[in-house]
Parts: sequence; structure tokens; C-alpha cells
Amino acid sequence: MGPPLPLRERLVLGGLGLGGFIALWTLLSTTGIVPRSFLPTPFDVMSRFAVLLSTPFAGATLPQHLASSFQRYGSGVLLAAAIGVPLGLMMGWFRVLDDIVTPIFDGLRFIAPIAWVPFAALWFGTGIGGPVLIIFAGAFPPCLINAYRGARFVEPRLIEAARMLGTGNTRMIVEILLPAATPSIVAGLRVSAGLGWQSLVGAELIVAAAGIGFMMVQAQANVATPTVMAGMVAIGLVGMLIDILLRQFEAWLRRRRGLEV
Amino acid sequence: MGSIRFKNVDKVFGPSAGGVKVLDDINLEIAEKEFVAIVGPSGCGKTTCLRMVAGFEPPTSGEVSVNGKVVTAPGPDRAVVFQQFALFPWKSVRDNIDLGLRNKNLPKVERDERIAAALRLMNLESHADAFPHQLSGGMQQRVAIARAYVLDPEVLLMDEPFGALDAQTRVVMQEELVRLARVNPRTVLFITHAVEEAVYLADRVAIMTRRPGRIKEVLDIRKVREAENWDRMTRIEDVMDLESFVHLRTQIWKSLREEKGANSV
Amino acid sequence: MKALSENLKSVGGSADMAGRRGWIGLGTVAGLIALWFVLSGTGLVSSARFPSPAEFWVSLTQIATRGYAGGQLWQHALQSLRLVAMGFLVAIATGIPLGLWMGWSRRAEAVINPVFLIIRPIPPLAWIPLAILWLGLGDAAKIMVIWFAAFVPSVINAFSGVRAIDRPMIEAARMLGTPPLRMVVEVIAPAAMPMIFTGLRLSLQAAWTTLVAAELVGALAGIGFVLNMAQQDIYPGMILVGMVTVGVLGWATTRALGAAERRALAWNVAARD
Repeated sequence: MGPPLPLRERLVLGGLGLGGFIALWTLLSTTGIVPRSFLPTPFDVMSRFAVLLSTPFAGATLPQHLASSFQRYGSGVLLAAAIGVPLGLMMGWFRVLDDIVTPIFDGLRFIAPIAWVPFAALWFGTGIGGPVLIIFAGAFPPCLINAYRGARFVEPRLIEAARMLGTGNTRMIVEILLPAATPSIVAGLRVSAGLGWQSLVGAELIVAAAGIGFMMVQAQANVATPTVMAGMVAIGLVGMLIDILLRQFEAWLRRRRGLEV
Repeated sequence: MGSIRFKNVDKVFGPSAGGVKVLDDINLEIAEKEFVAIVGPSGCGKTTCLRMVAGFEPPTSGEVSVNGKVVTAPGPDRAVVFQQFALFPWKSVRDNIDLGLRNKNLPKVERDERIAAALRLMNLESHADAFPHQLSGGMQQRVAIARAYVLDPEVLLMDEPFGALDAQTRVVMQEELVRLARVNPRTVLFITHAVEEAVYLADRVAIMTRRPGRIKEVLDIRKVREAENWDRMTRIEDVMDLESFVHLRTQIWKSLREEKGANSV
Repeated sequence: MKALSENLKSVGGSADMAGRRGWIGLGTVAGLIALWFVLSGTGLVSSARFPSPAEFWVSLTQIATRGYAGGQLWQHALQSLRLVAMGFLVAIATGIPLGLWMGWSRRAEAVINPVFLIIRPIPPLAWIPLAILWLGLGDAAKIMVIWFAAFVPSVINAFSGVRAIDRPMIEAARMLGTPPLRMVVEVIAPAAMPMIFTGLRLSLQAAWTTLVAAELVGALAGIGFVLNMAQQDIYPGMILVGMVTVGVLGWATTRALGAAERRALAWNVAARD
């Protein structure tokens, strides 16, 4: 595929691609080939986005909806990490625990997190518990799997050295496995955060009375297309921000440990 | 047919000001059907020389030509045998050898004939339908050589081809390559850092300095080989015992040792 | 993300240890089922929350034979399966070539990447309201969202697969005078295949998640619709039936993909782990 392109060429071609996309979009919309009520122009969407920053829709402004969503999101992901990481580490160390939990996990793995929505609605109504459950279902597997793999595949020499030094189980997990597994755990957290954010959106489309997903459902019911698309932009931006922050954290961690220059 | 020429070749990697100069004013002519080995310290640019003839890298200045024509792109007229074999793992031995022939649009009958001959030549007949992962390193390299030979190239470019093999296999391959070269000679450019290998295989050995690489000297091995009739020996260890061999080898070692210097890479 | 049980096999353990692990696994599942009976039987878990085994069985037989929410179980399952299959196949038929092209051509990557970067962070489920606005509550809207969800991982993994190809392999093919079309079909695509299949697994997962969500939001048939109806009817037994069906269908399609992968990648012994 040849050598990487020089920066200038990349920027020019990128600009062409992006510009072409926006131009095509605007063209389709303004000429009416696609009705404007179905496909607002990019400008319509961005100005609606700006308006929503201060004007409420479906009960709250955009930042307020996002904050509400973020509460559920944060709780779900933290819960997933708080249970998944320790459990994964212990499963990596205690073979019996591994044997017990693995079949359960493998069985539940194929049920899409979103399929928990009906039970979530049944158990929690429109309270915060519902979305938290679904976010948990989405964010839990990567936390567990990455902690497990991180612990399981620690270099055997390190384990042997620790055992030779008479290290007990608890100390082994906390002082040996956990530090050794940290890169894997952090990578898992990043995937978790992404999956959790996606699950949040799905959950809020169905069982919420506030939050960004709820806002979009209301907008759709009212055929307020610019609002729907503004919501999509907001979700994308936040998701991207979360990913970037976690990648930075991951890179910082790797540099600290000398695994990356 | 099959002459190679380096004329005032420079090679700089990176930006033209402040990049790394790996080759400095390389001038070398290789006659057709001549077997030339290039030896030199790590990083001296000897592999880069081969890659320029192959068409994978252009010179920064100067000219690299084959048969008088400047090299611009890779092609089956300058077949390459890579150090890491570069076989296609999803194709059988037969299909690996076949690809170059299909690219030449040869009719099936002729392709099958050539493949059969190549398999015989490299002792691969019983492995024709095996896949690379089922073969040892030595066998995989045989497939790579067969794949190159079957194209009947004017020029054969070998980039440390036995470097990834264990010592015993390497010796066997060296003996085979000599046998091939006597029976079916063609122009060969052979890169290696193993001096004994170079002296055993080549007609001439070019010694390169450390980076930026220059051609320090070129030794005529063939003259000595034919005068002392090395080919009367069938075993490599017998050849390497000969006084004339040892003399040449030592000469090259001494020359390379000067290149090591205080801060060798 | 592989099943944990597959991880076990890779990290050794003799044959009888594997057997022992199998028994413990079986025991755990049996134990959980027993626990289920006990908890419901003694009323510790109210049946308004979670169905008892008996209720589960009643719901299952009902939908399997008499039908529920407008059809029998197999009809709903087939509907969902149909939509997933269509969305998935269109997604990989469009995504893989695009990914291969972007991987091979740095120019193509430079032009397309910015657009991709903008669209990519938007979770597939976030497209559902828009899809419904555009295409209504029918199959088309669902296929659109499924296509989108499954498209992205295919592109990304095909792209990464091409970029990860060993340079000597490409150089060897060029040295052999391989023309462009043959290069793509016989060298690049097979070399990128392992990563492409990773992308396919992710695509399939995304397709199922999106389908269930889309059917939950607005549908007239399918497993998601069954779940929705069961929730509105406050019918926990049927909810569980729906969830189990989703799991089974997901498992079955994943296994089918795995079989296809093993056949396509039979040559890839090195990476088998």
C-alpha cells in the first residue's frame, strides 16, 4: 500500500472527502430531492443543536438531558467495573471459581444487553435502576474478561517467584496479579465504557423519562427531525470524548510502565 | 542478458536534508550469469542495494539498471528470495509456485511442466500439495527458491535467504545452491553477513563499509576456485578446509574487522 | 471476545482436567436451576418479578403451540432471523470491500476517513429514531439500522487486516508480477481474512443487539416484539422465553459463523489459540 502520505496531502484529501459529504448532504436537502422535513441540512442540525443548549425540549435542555444520562451511565459502568474486575482477577487465580462462573457467563453472553429491558422495566419502572441494569449488562463482560485474561496470562515466572517467596492468596491477587493485569484491565475499561454508552442509548430509547435517548424518542414522535439529529450529534460527541480520554489514560499508563516510548 | 549495474548510487532514508544516508556512491557492475555476494556489517545498506535492483526502493541519486534499462518497478525478471520466505500460507506449495506462472498467462500445460520440473529440482515432489505451515523452515525456503526459479528469471536476488534457518539446514541449502548454480547458471546477487557462505557460493565478493555504505573492495573468488579446483570436493567442510579458501576468508574478515571500529552497531 | 471456556483450553490442562471442569460446569448449571426452583417455590422471589420454572414452561408451550403476540414462536424467531441475516449480509458485502480498499489505498483512506470518523461515534441504536422517521415501523427501518451497526466493525477490521499484512508478502506478490485484481482476490483478501472474521463476529453481535432494540421500540412481529408485548402484559414468564430465545438464536448464528471461519481459515495454524 506504499508509504504514508505527507500531512498536507492527507489534509487536502480529507477536506475534499468531508467537504464533498457535507456538500452532497446539503444539496439533497435544499433541492428537495429528499424532503427537508426528513433530511434537514447540516446547518439546520447544528443551529438546532445550538438552540437546544439553552432551550428546553421534552422537559430539559440538551446539557441537562446529557447530565441525566450520564448519571445512569456512570453508575452502570462503575458497578460493572467494581464487580467485574475483582471477580475476573479472582477467577484468574482460583481455578474452581473459574469453573463455576464460566458456564454461567458463557450462557448469558449471547443475550444482547438490550434484551434485559423488559425485566428492567418490570422491576424498576422508569426509575434509574432500569437503565443502570442494561448498562451494567453491556459494560460487564469486557471488565470481567479483560481482568480474567490479565490475571491468567501473567508471566509464569513472576507467579513462581511470588510463590517461592511464600505469598498468600490475597496478597498474590492484590500485589501481583492486579498490577500485572492493569494494562489489560484498562483496555477492558475502555471497551466497557464504549459498550456502556451504547447500551445507555438503547435503554433510554425505551425506558426513560429523561435523558438524551428519551429526548430523541420524543423528537421522533413529534417529527422534529433536526432535534433527532442534534441528539445523535451530542451522543456521538460525548462517546468520542469518553473514548479519547480513556485512550490518553491508557497511553499514559503504558508510558509509565515503560511498555511504550 | 541479466547484467546489473550500479552507477553513482546514493540512498538516503527520510527527508533529503537530515535523513539517514545508507549508501554512498555505489558503483558495481555484475556481468551476466555472474554470482556476486555482498558482505558487510549490519546496517551498511547491502539489503538496500538488493531492494533497489528488485524495484522496491528507488535510489536517491544515481542509477540502478538491469540489461542497460533503469529499474522502475518489481517484476518476475528479477526474482527475489526473501529471508522470511514470504510464502502465501493459504496456498499449497504447488499453488505458491504457480502464481508467477499464471501472472505470465502461460498455458496450463506449460505451467504444469515447469512446476513439475521445479519440484523435482528442489526435492519437493512429495510435498506438492502441502501447505507452508506443514513444512520445516528449510523446505519453505526451497519452495521460495522453486517459486523464483520457475520464472526462469535473468536475475536472481537473494536477501540473506538462509538467515532464518538452523545451522545444519543452512549447510545443506548452501551445497544445493552451488549445485544449482553450476548446472543452471544465471546472474545472482546474494546478500549475507556470513563470510564463509559468501566465499563458498560466489564468483566475486564485494565488501561494504559500515554506514554510509561504500564498496570497499571486490575479491575475485572464481579465479582462485577454478585454479585450485574447489569443485572436486563435494562436501562443504572439505572445501572450507582448503588453504586457498581459508586465505580468502581471512582476508575478508580482516577487512570487515576494520569496519567494526570502536562503536559498531 | 471468546468464550471463557475457550480460553481454558488454550492455557493447557490435561484431558481429565478438562473432564473435571466439564463436570463442575454441569454441576453449577444444575445447581442454579435447583436454586431457581427453590426460590420460586418458597416464594422468596415473587412471581411478579421473576417467573417460576412452571410459569416459564407454561409460557413456552403457549407461544410454541398456540402462539402469542400474533404468531407462534418459530414465526417470530424466523422473522427476527430473517432481518438479522439480511442486514448482516448487506453490511459485510458493502463493508468488507470498502475496508479492503481503504486499507490498500492510502488516498482512499485519506478521503473517506474523516466522514467515517464523524459517523462512527454515533451508536447504532441512536439511529433508530431517525430510521423510524424515514422508513416507518416496517422491516426496512430495521434492516437499515442493522446494516449500519454491522457495517462499521466490518470496515474497520478489513482495513486493519490489510494494514497488518506482512510487507514481504506484498513484495513477493509484486515481484511475481501479480496484476491488481488478482492481488486483491488471491493475496490481500486471504491475508486479511483472520481479522475480517474477527470483524464478522463483532458485526453479528451488533446486528442482534440492534435488531432486538429496534423490535422493542417499534415492530409488529419478531422476538423483540414478543418481549415488548410481554412487558406490557406484565407476563414475566413470556419475557424469559423471549430472552432465552434471543440467547439461543445468537448462539446458533455465532456457531455457524465459527464453522465458516474454521473452514475459511484452515491454513491459519499459526494463529490458532
